[in-house]
Amino acid sequence: MNRFFAVLLAATVSANAQEMSMTQSDEFSEEQLNFFESKIRPVLVKNCYKCHAKEGDKIKGGLLLDTRDGSIRGGDSGSALTPGNAEESLIYIAMTYEDSSLEMPPKTKLPNHVLADFKKWIDMGAPDPRRSADADKPAEKYSSTIDIEKGRKEHWAYQVPTKHEVPQTKKADWAKNEIDQFVLASLEKNELAPNSDTDARTFLRRVYYDLIGLPPSIAATEAFVKAWDLDPDKATANAVDELLASERFGERWGRHWLDVARYAESSGRESNATFPHAWRYRDYVIDAFNDDKPFDQFVVEQVAGDLLQFETDEQQAEQLVATGFLTIGTKGLNERNPRQFRFDMIDEQIDTATKAVLATTVACARCHDHKFDPIPMSDYYAMAGIFLSSHTHFGSPRTAQNRNSTSLIELPGNVPRAGEKLPLGELVDLQARNDMIAKQLRETEEKVREARASGDTDAAQRLRLQSLNNINQSGIVKSNLEAFDNDGNRKPLAMAMQDGDTLYDSPILVRGEIENATKETVPRGFVQVIQTNDERPIPETQSGRLQMARWMTSPENPMTSRVFVNRTWHWLFGQGLVTSVDNFGTTGEKPTHPELLDQLAVRFIEMEWSVKSLIKEIVTSRTYRMNSDYDEAKFLTDPDNKQLWRTNKRRIDAESFRDATLAVSGQIDLERPQGSIVAAQGNGFVGRAGAISSVEDYLTNSNFSNRSVYVPVIRDMLPDSLQLFDFADPSLVLGARETTTVPSQALFLMNSNFLQTNAEAMSNLLTNELNLRGGKLGYTAFHLCYSRPPTEEEGRKTKAYFERFISTAKESGLNEAEATKLALHTFCQSLMSSAEFRYVN
Amino acid sequence: MNSDLPFLPSRRTALQATASGFGYMAFSALSTMQAEQQKSPLTAKAPHFTPKAKRVIFLCMQGGPSHVDTFDYKPQLTADTGKNAKGFAKLLGSPWEFKQHGESGLPISSLFPNLAEHADDLCLINSMHTDLPNHPQAFVQMHTGNFQFVRPSLGAWTLYGLGTENDSLPGFINLAPPNGNGGAQNYGSAFLPAVYQGTPVGQAQRGALLRGGGAAPTPTISNIKNSKLSPELQRVQLDYIKSLNIEKLKRDRVHPEIEGVIESFELAFRMQDEVPTVLDFNSEPENIREMYGLNDRATQGFGTQCLTARRMAEAGVRFIEVNQGNWDHHRNLSNAMEQNCGAIDKPIAGLLADLKQRDMLKDTLIVWSGEFGRTPHGQNGNGRDHNNKGYTSWMAGGGVNGGQRYGSTDEYGYQAIENKVHTHDWHATILHLMGLDHTKLTYNYAGRDFRLTDVHGHVLKDIIS
Repeated sequence: MNRFFAVLLAATVSANAQEMSMTQSDEFSEEQLNFFESKIRPVLVKNCYKCHAKEGDKIKGGLLLDTRDGSIRGGDSGSALTPGNAEESLIYIAMTYEDSSLEMPPKTKLPNHVLADFKKWIDMGAPDPRRSADADKPAEKYSSTIDIEKGRKEHWAYQVPTKHEVPQTKKADWAKNEIDQFVLASLEKNELAPNSDTDARTFLRRVYYDLIGLPPSIAATEAFVKAWDLDPDKATANAVDELLASERFGERWGRHWLDVARYAESSGRESNATFPHAWRYRDYVIDAFNDDKPFDQFVVEQVAGDLLQFETDEQQAEQLVATGFLTIGTKGLNERNPRQFRFDMIDEQIDTATKAVLATTVACARCHDHKFDPIPMSDYYAMAGIFLSSHTHFGSPRTAQNRNSTSLIELPGNVPRAGEKLPLGELVDLQARNDMIAKQLRETEEKVREARASGDTDAAQRLRLQSLNNINQSGIVKSNLEAFDNDGNRKPLAMAMQDGDTLYDSPILVRGEIENATKETVPRGFVQVIQTNDERPIPETQSGRLQMARWMTSPENPMTSRVFVNRTWHWLFGQGLVTSVDNFGTTGEKPTHPELLDQLAVRFIEMEWSVKSLIKEIVTSRTYRMNSDYDEAKFLTDPDNKQLWRTNKRRIDAESFRDATLAVSGQIDLERPQGSIVAAQGNGFVGRAGAISSVEDYLTNSNFSNRSVYVPVIRDMLPDSLQLFDFADPSLVLGARETTTVPSQALFLMNSNFLQTNAEAMSNLLTNELNLRGGKLGYTAFHLCYSRPPTEEEGRKTKAYFERFISTAKESGLNEAEATKLALHTFCQSLMSSAEFRYVN
Repeated sequence: MNSDLPFLPSRRTALQATASGFGYMAFSALSTMQAEQQKSPLTAKAPHFTPKAKRVIFLCMQGGPSHVDTFDYKPQLTADTGKNAKGFAKLLGSPWEFKQHGESGLPISSLFPNLAEHADDLCLINSMHTDLPNHPQAFVQMHTGNFQFVRPSLGAWTLYGLGTENDSLPGFINLAPPNGNGGAQNYGSAFLPAVYQGTPVGQAQRGALLRGGGAAPTPTISNIKNSKLSPELQRVQLDYIKSLNIEKLKRDRVHPEIEGVIESFELAFRMQDEVPTVLDFNSEPENIREMYGLNDRATQGFGTQCLTARRMAEAGVRFIEVNQGNWDHHRNLSNAMEQNCGAIDKPIAGLLADLKQRDMLKDTLIVWSGEFGRTPHGQNGNGRDHNNKGYTSWMAGGGVNGGQRYGSTDEYGYQAIENKVHTHDWHATILHLMGLDHTKLTYNYAGRDFRLTDVHGHVLKDIIS
């Protein structure tokens, strides 16, 4: 509650923040200018002008500090001064000596009171009467030739979807619902006929993998076959209801959204710091799908949950966690220029939000107008202003190489914790370690000062490296300590967004370069070509994220509903009605069934954005029920199955494969783990001492048998079981995964510890727990893995396999019992490794 | 028709079957047509024009080796040692003597006595420059052209453009890649299909990197060996899996992906044979082992990698990356350079000589580069700072004019001034030598055609023979 008011309060205070924008302000009070004259100018003249003034001995790094313009424009390392924000100003950072590669003035660090003066000065907006004598650099100009009105009229995706008349079809008894009528009409127009219905077993397996990502049990299959024989429609409806109600549904469909949200538990890129609190967002997404949270609300919470009203602490916590969406992207934490870091992060946020929700590549307009879509740079920077006015709390330890770390948000109310309470002894140890490093750091810094004073530069350099090492250790230990309260309880920390204390409109950065800002700023706003008539202006006291979220989810927004309906279609059919699921722009694909897409988009909104209702409507259609059989004539007419004359044969994805393997071996643990392995490991940099070195080893050694959605996603360190089977690269927004078939997959299936362990477990399950032998064992094994009994041919092949394997094994010296056991293991492994196990028809 | 199926083929017949294309189901012209469309993305493809080189061995020097102490001869720097130049700290002339080598008289420092004997094969590109003097960004830019976004790596683009020639090995192999500085991103495929990503073999050992030189990393490919089954038993198992897959294929009638699955098991099975063979040096005669420095602790590590690279090149791998770290010499330059150059000098010389005697140097492009160079002025007395504005990379073999210095830096080696070569130009040239036009090698992702060189890049025509 308090936090919400704090935000409001901060926003109100900064109502006049415009004048502290990055460009220039001429209005300073006398008092402020006196502060500059007495505290700042003398220091600049004495310590900086020698190398950074027009009249100085030389101009180093292209940086001039003798005018306000020059300071803001900066030199080779970028802008030196960000008025209003000392922490983002290179001049201040250099003075603090916290970055060994950037220490100014070079010989001695300025006293702390001078640093404090500079911080105060910059934070108050860097009042400074010094003007450039000449306008030595022409002002950056921006103009656009994009005709937004014309662009809007000419592209299908920018038209608001409307309902269409349901078409009449020649074949009268086929369609079960509207979807089928649109599909059938289109097929008939192309002189194609739909394939006939598939059989009960194939259908059940299909709908199980599609809805919950697991194979049906033998009992469920047999019961369904009976029910289907009586009434396929009723059997289907019941099965679908049951699956949608299962908690497994959210784990499956939440994972789809996590692909789009490029979910990961580390920062990726060069430093790759762990995100020990990212799992909260993962659980939020899973719960949202299980609760059938209306999709518009789901979007609003992810973009602006921190700005929504709430009735309970728990609701507030949930909404804060939702904004993790904007915080978990890749980050170049070692970027030295904080302003560059800020704009890179904002770019990632704009890119993710607009691609994920709108399938629009707005980020293409960062450096120039969008080359293909009617999106001028000014639209991009209108959105950039919204993020510039927001705080992204992503954490990470503050070290010499990571000056970009931020605080995290402590959640209110009763929320789950990442793990158990830390035993008192360990807490004390951690505190002691923290104190010890802090002490070492103080001592080393003292020695550095002494060495500098005595002129021993070699010693000073050496000690400086040592102190940097201390800073790094201290950063990691401190961030880990801060995750606990004084009793050793884990604090309920989260990655989340908040509105900033200061609100900014962004200038346009010509060519995307932070040094080339235009003088004028762009009022915060959205992408103009995507128009809704119910847009509300952004109040002067808010960042605009909430208004952006409302604009995205307006029923009049032509993209959002269409984009999600299309994603859903892709996840159920293996190809979207628009195949370029993440790009609805002019370079994307056109819809194969534009009217059906519109109809579904409107229906989705009518159904109050209920994802479960949408899915049910699709999977109970006749279209979804078709078999996947090859047909020569139809293939010749439509080889890519654009008209949906059959169902596509699909390989199950990496998670489903891993989960299915654990399921048929009886090893799967369906409980949600508490937090995440990454949370348990805490803060650190991946691959370096103290942080996770191999997820693969960890999973193997700990017999991690939870569902794959709970496997930690560390950027650039995915376990084989996911990586090899085309898991979505968590650095990119990816609504459609690749399906590759490469030998490293086969090697994994043949030789990996994971397959062998699970094959043994399955073999033990069959022989020991189910007490099966011979034909019955074979029958059950096939049924478990393929959701059907073996064919006669498969039975013969299997019998021959056992004979051949056992005799070969005996020839190599194994006794009968050993040979039989090994034959059983490899038989189970063969079923898991075979194509049918990981393909659905 | 079923009786036509090669039901339990021997390894050799399986090879023939796959070599002749999807032979399992000679279904109809239709099936073949569909199969053609979806044939293995790794199948060798025609280049854009006649290539000079068929394969690349990239000797990747992580950390930024000093150019003024190795391949960029700066007499003025030596003469002005100790002076304050251009407002920087005191200039530090190279402690090592440069001498002219070969008929071409290329100046190379005494740190590379063995490599210097191949001076007439080397094309020193003295005018390299890159965008930033920070390791992570520069290292990623060297590999992908872009440090701001996740982009496909040079090796992945090459494989995407050309496919590979050995169906028993992956087409892009990265030996002991470092984990940091972008890690897998440096050999990743980003938005290109995953099949084009590099297969890492062996891992850089952190301790070894810290110690410098270091023990030989043991090259491995994950899951290459079965811990429980003899090859005979595994063949029995794979025959069974294949029979199950063929049953599935029969039921599905036309399903190219299943044919791909069947193929991939056969390739994997072959890899189990081939990979350990490629990685087993026992067949190499003593003189070859000596050539690569396998008998000396100092050169053993990098020598192992170079010999592995040659064996893989010989086996038909398209792009091989070899790694040596620990070039970040802010201090202790004189010792560390001796150690590091000592570790690679003999192995690289051995690699060049060995390729030449096998007549493979002419179509194997060798590229040596760090992510940037170092400053002419000293740091910490006996070290050098990062320098992205001027540094040296070299190429040899594969259609490159040897015995040549291309471009130059200023009198001290601060920045490239003549014929400047940006990372994008360097990429464009490597692709060109492989027969690929960097402006035409594109991939459509999210509505845009992407290139390795983005909108940049000029081919260095003058270095091509």
